[in-house]
Amino acid sequence: MIINRTIQPDLLKPGKPAFNPPEEFQLDNSIPVFMLHAGNEDVTKLELIFEAGVWQENTPLQAALANAMLQEGSRKFKSYQIAESFDFFGAYLQLYADYHFGAVSILCLNKHLPKILPVVEELVKFSILPENEFHTLTKQRKQRFLLENEKVKVLAQKKFSCVLFGEDHPYSQTVTANDFDCLEVDSLVEFYKKNYRSNHCRILASGNTDEHLLANLNQYFGEKDWNGSSLEIESFSVKSSNSKYHFVEKPDAIQSAIRTGKLLVKKDHPDFTGLLVLNAILGGYFSSRLMANIREDKGYTYGIVSSIPTFRDAAYFVVATEVDKQYEEATISEIFKEIELLKTTLLGEDELKRVKQYLLGEFIRDFDGPFARATAFRNVNDFGLDYSFYEDYYDMLLTITPKQIKNLANKYFETDSFYTVVAGRK
Amino acid sequence: MISFYRHQLPNGLQILICPDRSTPMAALDICYHVGAKNEHPDRTGFAHLFEHLMFGGSVNIPDYDMPLQQAGGENNAYTTNDLTNYYLTLPKENIETGFWLESDRMLELAFSQKSLDVQKSVVIEEFKQRNINQPYGDAWALVRGLAYEVHPYQWATIGKEISHIEDATLEEVKDFFFRFYAPDNAVLIASGNVDEDKILHFSEKWFGNIPNRSVNKVALPKEPTQNSFREKTVERKVPDTLLYLAFHMPGKSDRGYFVCDLISDVLSNGNSSRMYKKLVKEKRLFVELDAYISGDHDPGLFMVSGKLSKGVSIEQAKHAVWEELEIIQQELVNGTELVKVKNKLEANLVYGRMNYLNVAQDLAHFENLQKAELINEQLDVYQSITAEELRDIAQNIFRIENCSQLNYLAK
Repeated sequence: MIINRTIQPDLLKPGKPAFNPPEEFQLDNSIPVFMLHAGNEDVTKLELIFEAGVWQENTPLQAALANAMLQEGSRKFKSYQIAESFDFFGAYLQLYADYHFGAVSILCLNKHLPKILPVVEELVKFSILPENEFHTLTKQRKQRFLLENEKVKVLAQKKFSCVLFGEDHPYSQTVTANDFDCLEVDSLVEFYKKNYRSNHCRILASGNTDEHLLANLNQYFGEKDWNGSSLEIESFSVKSSNSKYHFVEKPDAIQSAIRTGKLLVKKDHPDFTGLLVLNAILGGYFSSRLMANIREDKGYTYGIVSSIPTFRDAAYFVVATEVDKQYEEATISEIFKEIELLKTTLLGEDELKRVKQYLLGEFIRDFDGPFARATAFRNVNDFGLDYSFYEDYYDMLLTITPKQIKNLANKYFETDSFYTVVAGRK
Repeated sequence: MISFYRHQLPNGLQILICPDRSTPMAALDICYHVGAKNEHPDRTGFAHLFEHLMFGGSVNIPDYDMPLQQAGGENNAYTTNDLTNYYLTLPKENIETGFWLESDRMLELAFSQKSLDVQKSVVIEEFKQRNINQPYGDAWALVRGLAYEVHPYQWATIGKEISHIEDATLEEVKDFFFRFYAPDNAVLIASGNVDEDKILHFSEKWFGNIPNRSVNKVALPKEPTQNSFREKTVERKVPDTLLYLAFHMPGKSDRGYFVCDLISDVLSNGNSSRMYKKLVKEKRLFVELDAYISGDHDPGLFMVSGKLSKGVSIEQAKHAVWEELEIIQQELVNGTELVKVKNKLEANLVYGRMNYLNVAQDLAHFENLQKAELINEQLDVYQSITAEELRDIAQNIFRIENCSQLNYLAK
């Protein structure tokens, strides 16, 4: 068979992803339960999500450490017994806290879930946050913190968040080593008792969940006796820095970490989905302009990406890279050249088509399998949005034009509005 | 049980097809049986450099990434000491684009000085980012250098020295390609929402006329038995002191490999494991402590590595670890503990099967080792391992003369 290897096989347009939102239920105490039934394997991922993030803190580290302490001992079980129960059944317990939420996540074979749930109930409702475990944990976390602080990319990112939001804002990363020393277990107990409450909770279950799951959840989490005070969400104002360039010195660093970017509109703004496409073109995928220029053409770096980190109350645009000190200035100047180009020159239909196809592929992946769908759900539900966000994004992907991209670049990428942070040696 | 179909093309290319209709995606994975262990000692880092060059365009297709993105695809690759693996995922409708791209770069790369120069520079920056600019970035390389005298596992995939990458010539690059990149030294795996007949048809159409290259690999030197304790101490500007103990252990074709895997789980997998409970939680000698196996195909390393608590000396730390290693040599692991590590393995295998790309990569690893069919024997092997075997293998490897110790001190 003679084949022409220079011609790409015909492309078919993949179908629109099946969004499949979760089914909604309520426990007897009104905790909302979202069920995403999908997949072949008899596995369930269960997430209990509380409004217990940095946003709710009155002392630094409360959210992260109160969350991490949940597995360190309860009224019935010692820390090692909790660990033993999960390990014995091959289940994974993951605890995490971010800006708005503190969560308890469990991955478990369906057959073992009934044996794990009573333990989960203990650590969610009856944790005692024992003092000696607290000391071990803070020591551990402090050492990890100090290690992370050795990395220029971490230093640059922290500074960048402070520059954008101002040091008093919950989205700026201002934790110091001293905060670990000053922390007291009582403040964690107080945080836990206030925030890990049924009226601050959502439950999300995904996987090939079994028919008894809802009844089981009701048994362990549905009672009305762990209600807390009514949920109030404070607001904070953003105070961006007055100067646009910031340098963080890290003596002996071989590479410099660069962050440059600015605040954008929030996720519910009509321009937001278009900005995702603009971001992809500039630095959001492997063949982006920044990668093509700064990695593939010049070889200054192993990687350069742009992204739009998105929170409930804000979103920002950032270009991030690490380069050898000698390429620092050249890299920053190339980044701004690429931004300028988007503002002045219409991009070709070919490039736009490629980006759209790429994003469409990503979009399908976002709904592939139960756990991906659970994440997709949280990516709207956490923001107070619904699946119409995805409908709009899909429609925009099919229709956006080079002209619209250029307009967005001009509207949002004013060079003077960018903040740049560099961490490295002098 | 993972069911898949096996075929072979006349040029020697192995084809494995593993359908999973629950996903709208398909994966194509091409694994070449060449890794850092096949490199010349003066040209280390070559297999990995080559992985980068594979994205610089092939003989008929100037750009690899753009057409893939046009098809909604994503790709990546990795190099280990044993293999180089390339994989891509696409919406199922466009899988043929994957065949077109992968077959052309198996046929021949578009070798150019410019592409080589740029990728050398990228890899050198990667070397700095991973090995130099990261705290503890060079630790693993130091351990390898200490534990191995002759076997090529003594260097890491990124390479021993930056100069090996800097000095690579275009001629050497071409030679490496035709020596190792060949249908008779590779396996193609299609997984996800794929159809056996279609995959077979595309395989024949795109890969069928690539010539067999009679790949002939030089036998690797066998690492001689270590007969005396080795120790190395370095000082670095890092926040905490680290202790590494490395023991030679059996290769992956040996039952002992799986026994070692279970031993490492008993010692340190999860917060209820022995070392975590006693040395991290109770005695607080370590902030972190791990026992794990390097996972290499040829005889590899059983590692114990830990980050010391402030004020703890290397001597104290070492002594405490050895106490645990003595216990597991003298006392049988009890029934519950053994069931626990086996339950965990079973659960992990089920979690791993949930992702079609993961399945393709597992198949690639077993095919590289020996044959992909072994994937379904794993669980039985683990289940059949007894407490006596754990004790016996522990006695065999946890000997001081089989140990290499790296003291990585905080300045």
